[in-house]
Amino acid sequence: MKPGIGQYTILGVLAAGFLYPIWWAISSSFKPPNDIITDPLTLSGPTLHNYEAMFADVPIGTGFANTALVLVVKGAMTMLFCPLAGYAFAKFSFPGKNVLFGVVLLTLMLPTLVLIIPLLLEMSALGWVNTYQALILPGSIDAFSIFWMRQTIAAIPGELIDAGRVDGSSELGIFFRVVLPVIRPGLAALAVLTTMNVYNDFVWPVVAVNDTEHQTLQVVLSTLAQNITGNRIGSDFTTVWGELLAAGSVAMVPLLVIFVVLQRHFINGILAGSVKG
Amino acid sequence: MSTPPIGRRGFLRGALGVGALAVAGCAPGGGGQAAPSRLAAPSATASAVKGEITIWNRSGDLFKVFDAAIAKFKQAYPGVTVNHQQVDIDAKLANTLISGTDVPDGSFWDDAKIGGQAEHLYDLTDLVAPYKDQTAPYKISVNTVDGKIYGVPWDLDPGLLWYRADILEDAGVDIAGIATYDDLLAASRTIKERNPASKPIHLDKNPFLSQLWLEMLANQQGTSLTDANGKLRLDSPEYQNIFAWIRQATGDGLVTHAPYLEPADVNTLDSGQQVFVPWAIWWSFAPQNLLKTTKGKWRAAPLPAWTPGGARSGAMGGSSFVIPAKAKNPELAWLLYEYLCFKDEGIQAVYGPNSVYPGGLSTSVPSYTPALDPAKPLFQPIEALGGQDLWKVATEAAATIPAAVPIPWWWAQSVDYLGNNVQRLIEGKMSPDDVIADSAKKIQRNLIDRG
Amino acid sequence: MRVRTWLTPYVFVSPFFLVFAAFGVYPLIFALQLSFTRWRGAGEAVFVGLGNYSYLLSSPDFWASLGNSAVLWLLIVPVQVVAGLGAAVLLANAKLRLRGFFRVAFIAPFVTPLVAMAQVWIVVFDTDYGLVNYVLNLVGLPDVGWLTSTTWSKPTLALLFLWKTTGFAIIILLAGLQAVPGQVYEAAGLDGASRWRQFWSLTVPLVRRSIAFLVVVQTLAVFQMFAEPYVVTQGGPYGSTETAGLYLYDHISASDLGTGAANSFLLVLLVFGLSLGAVRLLRPKDGTS
Repeated sequence: MKPGIGQYTILGVLAAGFLYPIWWAISSSFKPPNDIITDPLTLSGPTLHNYEAMFADVPIGTGFANTALVLVVKGAMTMLFCPLAGYAFAKFSFPGKNVLFGVVLLTLMLPTLVLIIPLLLEMSALGWVNTYQALILPGSIDAFSIFWMRQTIAAIPGELIDAGRVDGSSELGIFFRVVLPVIRPGLAALAVLTTMNVYNDFVWPVVAVNDTEHQTLQVVLSTLAQNITGNRIGSDFTTVWGELLAAGSVAMVPLLVIFVVLQRHFINGILAGSVKG
Repeated sequence: MSTPPIGRRGFLRGALGVGALAVAGCAPGGGGQAAPSRLAAPSATASAVKGEITIWNRSGDLFKVFDAAIAKFKQAYPGVTVNHQQVDIDAKLANTLISGTDVPDGSFWDDAKIGGQAEHLYDLTDLVAPYKDQTAPYKISVNTVDGKIYGVPWDLDPGLLWYRADILEDAGVDIAGIATYDDLLAASRTIKERNPASKPIHLDKNPFLSQLWLEMLANQQGTSLTDANGKLRLDSPEYQNIFAWIRQATGDGLVTHAPYLEPADVNTLDSGQQVFVPWAIWWSFAPQNLLKTTKGKWRAAPLPAWTPGGARSGAMGGSSFVIPAKAKNPELAWLLYEYLCFKDEGIQAVYGPNSVYPGGLSTSVPSYTPALDPAKPLFQPIEALGGQDLWKVATEAAATIPAAVPIPWWWAQSVDYLGNNVQRLIEGKMSPDDVIADSAKKIQRNLIDRG
Repeated sequence: MRVRTWLTPYVFVSPFFLVFAAFGVYPLIFALQLSFTRWRGAGEAVFVGLGNYSYLLSSPDFWASLGNSAVLWLLIVPVQVVAGLGAAVLLANAKLRLRGFFRVAFIAPFVTPLVAMAQVWIVVFDTDYGLVNYVLNLVGLPDVGWLTSTTWSKPTLALLFLWKTTGFAIIILLAGLQAVPGQVYEAAGLDGASRWRQFWSLTVPLVRRSIAFLVVVQTLAVFQMFAEPYVVTQGGPYGSTETAGLYLYDHISASDLGTGAANSFLLVLLVFGLSLGAVRLLRPKDGTS
């Protein structure tokens, strides 16, 4: 089935539309700050002014390091424990299963916003404000990922698992040797989704961290954005606009590069999975 | 909060059982907290005080300005270490105050926010007392809750009438002749007759800013959204004046309705469509940094008065410094803020020439009146205003700003009702009476009654 | 662990519940209890019974926020499912040239920081000076108030959400498509089944589970959406983009924590009902879920 010209046209137009805002943000970050709003369509400059100002103003390097740390720990916990729980919910029947899964779904449905202050009070009581554990542990094994893994694992034919049992494998053995390999595409997707979630999460980190040392990338961005988002009382917003776009570009480019480099593997994972199904 | 409250902790104990007790029992910020403490002046001399404080500021130009000023403070108080941080104050400060952990020793805050969180702040009445009579009455009133002062008053943001000097001259309009808002309408009509494309008066399209602007016009007449007892004043003659004036101006086609310094605004400012911008002093940023073709052609004058001889300015926005009740070193934070707000040297450090504003910080003026001497400018005449002495205009206007009453905690929320209805009025979709009736009803029901 | 004991599934799900017990239970119960009180973050909380709930249920603003979110849902979820599925099927096709490029293009917005990209939206959709209206003018069409008219503000916001999260939908659906074994297609291809028939009779039923998952998760996301309207429109013009999530945020940012909590639980009930409905509708006919 070779795609036709029509399909290429649709894909091409869509791709242009999807990429244009990113190009706009990155190219504007090289414009003199005042031209960004007053002259949004043309390209002027280029200048590194926004980048110099941004690097001087905010600890974006620290932000990167902390986001990376959170990502590694949270990612590892998610990639191990969420498929495990998903496996139990998908392929076991046990008393209380529906109630327990209901709790998982409840936490998924509860808006995070309402939990912020109670959770902050708890962190205060534990003495965890401004710590890595406060950034990492709450929500480290999240309901969304369990739900996703349950959906993915439920699609595995029961015979495959039963075959493993006949071989005399332990349940953990089946999990590692049968389940995980079969759901490799799902795991690849989980890895991407977890990365994005950690990367984009700002509501909790902004509240949980006060000091510079523990700021994540999104906290840094939110510090920059405060004069723009909400209401612009004050005067300095164009300068900040330039710095925000510079910081946003710095934040997204590494991920884009990683994604471009890894997408082949990510996709191959999906195709490899289809052979087994 | 009248009825005997159900103790938050008692409730939790029942609900959570023993396991969670440890957590619930230590949760701060709850019922066990004593009444806010009154802060007393530290007694030691400048060279003797020692300690470390954490100070929060919003990011951007002001952070840099204060950073430089704090460096000077450290020279005056060598024993004090100041950990100066830029944080997203709107997102963080209220939450941090509620949780009570790792609170800063002092923070910058919008005047409008202070009323909602007074219970978490030090009562600074005694400390501010020596300076109270010499501080702009407006700033004292907005920092007061139940008769106590909770913020160290920082900037005053007088409203001014920004105008195109060249266009007025061509039209033969003398700015000195614009003494009332009716004069402003008349001048606008004259300009529009010469140039029918002109829509001389800027009215803002951002609901929040249009409500802040409305409060400037109300403050100018000596009133505000509520009276001292928190009762709504929307149906007062003062607000009726304003709404009737807006309707007149829009009905006569004299208004450019554009969002504050967004492209549509900047472009109509530069094109000559806008001639008058009644706005706070911080609009001075536009000619200095955003406008291109009309840079140098704008000037500032006092606002017109609502009645002949009435006040020629009102306050629009402003910020102060608060000291959280859980601050570790509140006395030292006070020393810093006293230095920045009331000491000659500190005020110079903030407003005088610095690396961010080589001519001095010209987007507000201090609220401490001894510093507001028209003859002793803190910032220099501004080239983008054709070399006008903005300091003189601003300080003279500031001196006329009437006192106000504390800003209610729900002020920002009321924008959903009042700010939006002001927009409808400007767009001709709502009558002044409906704006008053509808906004008052909704603010009463959704905000005041739920306080 | 050699033998399958009754304990096994409990052990497998225990990490989640340990974390939940440590960091979920207390906030949850605290929030539930807050929803019956009036508490502004200081002093004693005042018990008000169901007062917060009855206030919200009788408040036109609350219903308006749900209505706004419902419209956004209609603008987002069906489009995303259909377009996402189409894109995923095309992107899964090994014969597609530039496949890697297209994948990156569609998924890239997902990795961009919202606060920065929202500024792009504001400028590109500016009524007077934005690129979109510039292009419309070029082809002779009049200006549209994308972010300034109550008619267009929701579609424009929906477009931002679609732009930002369709990559997410594609990832989910691509992973789901792997469950469609290649042999099935080959068999169907030999049968001479048309591509459309193949799509509807083979692909769609097989990724039904992924679609159901996507619908549930995006329903939650749309009804909890607050960052997008907060940065782009602040709920305006005239409250037309005041989503359920933003309305909830407004209570919390005003430290009206009791009302905020009650609002949250009402939203939970609502999205629970909606998700249940979605799952029922998309449940495979053979009864396995």
